[in-house]
Amino acid sequence: MAEFGWVWLKGTEGNQSDGRDSQAPSKSSNPQPYPAAPYRYTSPRIHTAPCTGTLLGGAPTLGAAIETRKLTKSYKRPGGVTNVVDGIDLHVEEGEIFGFLGPNGAGKTTTIKILLGIIYQTAGEAFVLDKEVGDTAIHHLISYLPEKPYYYEHMTGMEILKFYASLFGIKDEAKCQSLLEKVNLASDGHKTISQYSKGMQQRIGLAQSLLNDPKLLFLDEPTGGLDPIAHIEIRDLILQFREEGKTVFISSHELSDVERICDRVAIINKGKIEKQGRLEDLLAGGRYEITADVSEDFSSKIKEADTHVSWKNGRLIVDMPDSISPNAIVEGVLGAKGSILSVIPRRKRLEDLFVETVRNVQP
Amino acid sequence: MKTIFSIAATTVGEAIRRKVLLVILLIGLLFLVVAPALNILTARQERTVLVGLTLGVIQLTSALIAIMLTVYMVPNEIERRTIYTILSKPVQRWQFLVGKYLGAVAALGMMIGFMTIVLLITFALSQNERHLANLAPLIKAPVMNFFQMSLLSAVALMFSTFVSPLVNIFLSSGIYMLGTLFSPLFQTLVEAPSVNNVTKLFARIIHFVLPNFSNFNVQNPLINPGQVLVDERLYFITTIGYAFLYIGILLVTAVLIFDRREV
Repeated sequence: MAEFGWVWLKGTEGNQSDGRDSQAPSKSSNPQPYPAAPYRYTSPRIHTAPCTGTLLGGAPTLGAAIETRKLTKSYKRPGGVTNVVDGIDLHVEEGEIFGFLGPNGAGKTTTIKILLGIIYQTAGEAFVLDKEVGDTAIHHLISYLPEKPYYYEHMTGMEILKFYASLFGIKDEAKCQSLLEKVNLASDGHKTISQYSKGMQQRIGLAQSLLNDPKLLFLDEPTGGLDPIAHIEIRDLILQFREEGKTVFISSHELSDVERICDRVAIINKGKIEKQGRLEDLLAGGRYEITADVSEDFSSKIKEADTHVSWKNGRLIVDMPDSISPNAIVEGVLGAKGSILSVIPRRKRLEDLFVETVRNVQP
Repeated sequence: MKTIFSIAATTVGEAIRRKVLLVILLIGLLFLVVAPALNILTARQERTVLVGLTLGVIQLTSALIAIMLTVYMVPNEIERRTIYTILSKPVQRWQFLVGKYLGAVAALGMMIGFMTIVLLITFALSQNERHLANLAPLIKAPVMNFFQMSLLSAVALMFSTFVSPLVNIFLSSGIYMLGTLFSPLFQTLVEAPSVNNVTKLFARIIHFVLPNFSNFNVQNPLINPGQVLVDERLYFITTIGYAFLYIGILLVTAVLIFDRREV
């Protein structure tokens, strides 16, 4: 049985409901001229634990990998003070992959630098793994892969790992070797960084970020500028981190990757968080396309709001928002002795949401 | 300490591969090798000229290396984002800065050491001085030169925490020249009856604040055997102590500035 889309679940109506079903208009509040349907929508996404954080001030929320409250970073510029990060409230749960999106200059890297303690906030609070940023004790538990990183070119892959391991006080050469294997560089560990391709450099970057077995990884554009194979390899590694229980905070412009691997996202623009939440919730508002073989006079019975009806090659095509359950129309078609040819959910894409969010904010 | 040494070792590896430094070193070595041939241009005693010329070459070359090595050290780490991968590890900023400095000093020491070896070989071959006892006094100058350049590196490192490399080149070079030339000038200024008290006070402040690089120049007794230091050992100890004290002050200042700096 398919795991995604519409599936027939005869006899299961009512005892397996999800959030989407519960939001559909009930028969009592919005009477429909069709009988109930024996099917339901199933989501392809694995749901993570719901956000339990509260932003009340004081101590950080338990279970939050990252939490910021009214985090602000200002710079004095010739025209006055500019808020590069403008009072943002971020909440990242432990064990999730969190996408931090925004156009260039939105404040993504600045936020990451504040969270790493590399630069200091002007106002607000920031906590990483329950500790206030700036506490270098948390650096034993986190790691960072910057955008377009540079590694000392005269050193070999193995020497780079040994160097970064020494910063943690780790002398375990076997660990460095196992990390080279993990990122598929086992046979290239003796080559100098100058001999590495861009993808290999990115992989050695990921390897150095895993030396301390971090609980939280900050990845800034981890797949930027990579060829498709290297791209897929890095993406698979990131998915592996989640399976290992690590929290991953990704800043990326590769929206298809983010949509594929992230549990929750935040969109920042001009220093402000414009959207934040679970991808399912943010991408809600898609549409269903129902194709049916039914008599032409059936179309006059369709009265749902924002629903478009058309005919193509003698077949009925109904385009309706996913906020309305398509059960009623399917039941109606079946009741009219017609047949359903397909029910296709057309999900909103992250790219659409991103463009819509950023364009709405642009002056 | 392990962290500092790791950073220092990496800095040495980077420094000895920087082409601009190697070119400066190569030119310096070339001058050392051809120096005996330049004696024909002077009527003075051959050995005196050779000592003055070769030690001058070492001083100038090492000053250029010290400045070019140090002014780009921290800015390059920031520009190439290497600093982010280091500071996101359990590394304090002072550890990073001290590690970079020690790495620079170690690289400088290696380069000055290499020039000293070439200097000794040049003397051994051109002056037919095969006995170590004759050559040993020559080593004093490069040793003091090393401490002088360590101090110059600390000056450049301190400036590199808040000014651009280009500005730093001018600042550090300027301070080195002032610190080398001002001391003899200061004596003349203070002793001259025609100079007013305000100028003398101003001169004293500059003399106190500026690192006194001229103290490290011990070529004179080597060039003119008639000149001797009254207590050479004490002079060396106090001068090296002065270098350590000044370097310490400069590093603390650099750390204080760098700790507040946004990278």
